[in-house]
Amino acid sequence: MKISTRWLGRHVDLTGISPKQIAEALTIHTAEVEGLEPFLPHLGKVVVGHVLSREKHPDADKLGVCQVDVGDGTTRQIVCGAANVAGGQRVAVALPGVELPGDFKIKVSKIRGVESQGMICSERELGLGDEHAGIWVLPESVAIGKPVALVLGLDDWVIEIDNKSLTHRPDLWGHRGVGIEVAALFGRELKRLDTSLPANASGPVFPVRIESASCSRYVALPIDGVSPRRSPDWLRALLFAVGQRPIDLLVDLSNFVMLDIGQPNHVFDRNALSKDGIVVRDARPGERMKTLDGVERALVPSDMLICSGDAPVALAGVMGGEGSKVAEGTRSLLLEVATFQPAVVRRTSQRLALRTDSSARFEKNLDPTLPMQAAGHFVRLLREIEPGATLPCPPTDVGPWRDPARTLQVRPERVRQLLGDDVPDDEVAGILTRLGFGVEKQGTVLAVRVPSARATKDVTIEQDLVEEVGRTRGYARIPERALVADIAPPKRDEGWNRRMLARALQDRLAGGARFRETISYSFVADDLLAKLGDENEPHVRVINSGVEGASRIRRSVMPSLLGLLEPNRRRRDTVALFEVGKGYVPECSSPKGEPAEVHELGIVLAAAATKDARFDATSLARLRASALDAVRAAGFAQVVERPLTAEDAPRWAHPVRGVTLHVGDARVGFVAELEPRLRRALGLVGDVDSDAAAALISLDALLNAERKPAAFRSLPKFPGVKVDVAVLVPATVRSGDLAAALEKSGKGLVEGVELFDLYAGGSVEAGKKSLAFHVRLLAADRTLTEEDVQKYLSRVERAVGELGGAVRKA
Amino acid sequence: MTTSTDPNSPLSLALAQLRGAADLEALKALERDLLGKSGPAGQILASIPTLPPEERKSAGARANEIKRALEEALSARKRELEDVALAAERTGGDFDATLPPAPLERGGLHPVTRVVRDLEDLFTSMGYTILDGPEVELDWYNFEALNIPKDHPARDAQDTFYCDPEGRVVLRTHTSPVQIRAMERMKPPFRAIVPGKVFRNEAVDASHEHTFHQMEGLVVGKDVSVGHLIGAMKTLLRGVFGKDIEIRLRPGYFPFVEPGFELDARCPFCSTGCRVCKQSTWIELLPCGMVHPNVLKSGGIDPEQWTGFAFGLGLSRLVMLRYGIDDVRHLLSGDLRFLEQF
Repeated sequence: MKISTRWLGRHVDLTGISPKQIAEALTIHTAEVEGLEPFLPHLGKVVVGHVLSREKHPDADKLGVCQVDVGDGTTRQIVCGAANVAGGQRVAVALPGVELPGDFKIKVSKIRGVESQGMICSERELGLGDEHAGIWVLPESVAIGKPVALVLGLDDWVIEIDNKSLTHRPDLWGHRGVGIEVAALFGRELKRLDTSLPANASGPVFPVRIESASCSRYVALPIDGVSPRRSPDWLRALLFAVGQRPIDLLVDLSNFVMLDIGQPNHVFDRNALSKDGIVVRDARPGERMKTLDGVERALVPSDMLICSGDAPVALAGVMGGEGSKVAEGTRSLLLEVATFQPAVVRRTSQRLALRTDSSARFEKNLDPTLPMQAAGHFVRLLREIEPGATLPCPPTDVGPWRDPARTLQVRPERVRQLLGDDVPDDEVAGILTRLGFGVEKQGTVLAVRVPSARATKDVTIEQDLVEEVGRTRGYARIPERALVADIAPPKRDEGWNRRMLARALQDRLAGGARFRETISYSFVADDLLAKLGDENEPHVRVINSGVEGASRIRRSVMPSLLGLLEPNRRRRDTVALFEVGKGYVPECSSPKGEPAEVHELGIVLAAAATKDARFDATSLARLRASALDAVRAAGFAQVVERPLTAEDAPRWAHPVRGVTLHVGDARVGFVAELEPRLRRALGLVGDVDSDAAAALISLDALLNAERKPAAFRSLPKFPGVKVDVAVLVPATVRSGDLAAALEKSGKGLVEGVELFDLYAGGSVEAGKKSLAFHVRLLAADRTLTEEDVQKYLSRVERAVGELGGAVRKA
Repeated sequence: MTTSTDPNSPLSLALAQLRGAADLEALKALERDLLGKSGPAGQILASIPTLPPEERKSAGARANEIKRALEEALSARKRELEDVALAAERTGGDFDATLPPAPLERGGLHPVTRVVRDLEDLFTSMGYTILDGPEVELDWYNFEALNIPKDHPARDAQDTFYCDPEGRVVLRTHTSPVQIRAMERMKPPFRAIVPGKVFRNEAVDASHEHTFHQMEGLVVGKDVSVGHLIGAMKTLLRGVFGKDIEIRLRPGYFPFVEPGFELDARCPFCSTGCRVCKQSTWIELLPCGMVHPNVLKSGGIDPEQWTGFAFGLGLSRLVMLRYGIDDVRHLLSGDLRFLEQF
């Protein structure tokens, strides 16, 4: 909302207070000021000129050559094309050097051979509206040579307050309310404002009937002897300053009253209204009306209408109708000032996307005592300008409204306790009094009368008054305090454990395994779900999403990660990503409707596909190593892999090429190559053909599993022996069975078996494969001898033979 | 008998040879030749049995003298040659510091994780509990219990994603619902922070995201006051920016606090105005306030017995400030070109 400091000066004497000081005080004590700007600063440079003469341009019929006195003792020659310029006029002159809106810099120039030393301006050229039929002719009375801003009251500053910071302050939606605030903050007197209704004739009142439950007060005041003429300059200037386009006196006054005391109102041409009077009712299904902006609106029953007889003439609280607006011939008015239910106005304005100055105010829950004040204010202002305006009858004032003013108890002790500062009782009472609250001391308690303007919404409990005291004093005065409490180490509860588990996994993957952590949207795209074959799974759905792709919430982190593979593979040979995140499972919801939450670690690894990757360099092998390592490092040293079975495999996983991870009895995760059809669907083909694997580990399962950190074993007392064993076996023999055979052959002497080479093809005969292991032999009680090794190797030969293979001799 | 001054004596020749050795290898060969049996001292020693007894003693002494002289010359030359080698090595040869080192495959944590961890560690050290709450949330926790009834205008500003036609389930629009969940779970006094994802149903651009991160803070205790809030916020900023930062509280309206504030911090990046603070030297950092009595009641806490403060830190914004990220959309993009920078 825009506040003009000149306008504010109508309510409080601002002598000696700069606009900047006002803006800063409002920011610190009241509401957020978004901007502070001089109003049309060039008007301080444009001066009043006196046209001494106008002659026709020798070379152009439509141009005039004017001699203009600009008050500095010289006469300027100015070429002007306006038809209405004439000798004797006071006009606005922009002299060379002055810059007008639109980066228009005035220079001495020659127009058709005649020198022009400036420009006589129209209102539009000065930024004062659309008037461009001719130059702006100023009143006779203004002093020649003075800045136009000064003589016409256009020197002003505009303070823009963030509307969002006024949501709870209906009283601040007009200059009067801000004036009360400023007066309190600077310790100035508030100027009196007489809004009582002048005497009226005793004609028959205008009939009004309220049929809607959403209108609590409706004041209708007929006014005669008016005409929609141009408003006086002071009124136009104030409206301009706050961004309102002046239209005619009646509309301008209506707007002025709203912007002055915050109460929207509406002027109807009374002759365009039905003799049956005004009916306030809810819209009927299928009803339509054309609003002032010329748009035909389809209505619903939650909209409230102001009707003339039965015909809608205004959308209550939002906008007037086309048919009954003030027009050139208007001579008698009906002024409407009402109180509407905020939620109704808000819903209608939202539904129609029609936010107006009026709806913005009604939404805030306006003071229901305001309508009669607004009517009085309107009539008094009108009379100053149009002394012939009369009130043919008393106002109609109907509706079930009640004065919301109330009394609250305030304990100064509570004020001190909540603010954490020693505010004396008298200061509490003084501040509240300055803000317009009535204060009466009752023992240790203050009985505070909340005026209606503050009582509709903002001030309803004691704590609201604590805020009034705190903000008006200034929060900067409150001393900083340290929190004091017994500090215990954080509880090792489920949340703590889960966070520590997540940290351990993250650290291992990012630090040791060199994966990049990502955080994804919780939304999952429909097409991705379709590729996964998960499109028919239940998902939490957003029903009103205005964002493309944001309609379903993921059940698992896996789709999010899978969706990142192809775009990243286009830029990188290897994509190694992980995410610790949540998924939501709606079919397992709490009775209250909260979907079950799962916590997961997802890891993906995709590398450029190659035919001859070593057995331990495939994406699956690398990912298995990383996943095992991360789970171990997180405190589950006992984690083991088991072969994946087709019935266990999740949809994203290859039915065979994968493993499950187990801690104790619990399955905690999967590591597998991507299911081949999915890999193609994800676009990991062609020039981004990928060897891609993924892992999904359940944090929830891990948290339920027993933690077994790595166990210490005594260091060996005797040296061990390293033996390499190379075998040639049928291709069907599993590596794990061989390793088990190598271990078993040691009869307790084998400390470790490690596969270091595997190949098939080439020199290896068809149907066979060659594997090579490092075997570490160790005895706890003696140094091993060559004989021990030979015995071991012969047992190995036998064991490998039993598997259908043979040990290869070096 | 030859004297040591005779330039052609075996000793003089041997010494000259040692002093002239070109490198350590040549010196090693000379050591073998000259200090061995066939060297000048060795030859004398070998000849001793053939000498008359009275000459043997002086011949032995002579051999030792020669041996010592040769050893001295050897080690002197050795030091010289080592110095030369060291000096040569110290020149650095053709080293090119601009030649890149071997590439190291690097992993890394997401910048949000980094900042969250810093804050978690900071607050844990001050006795705060770290809480988590659901992203898919009940309307009750997200709005009703926070003093935001249906038809409250504050709901408009939140641009809520609704998950059912009755409006019972929403994607949480802030981390504040966990305030109520915290009150339900913990008995006062307590302190808690809640980092997490929040959602707004709004168009996305460089500074607006429909999904972003926030961190809620909540302290409930006896006589907790605005003064304590100020103290806690200063401590927070000291932790985040590593230095004391001036703050100011302005009135701000949020239905779940009363009084409510906007907290501004003196711009940590400038003293006279910059792009970050929009030339104002103040950065609007976080909304905060004293917990509204209705909110305490929703959480089952008696507002006459207990008071508290709450704050809501824009984590995504803090991450962007810390790393100078100019587009919020990078944060959840999963784009390696972004992630690899951290």
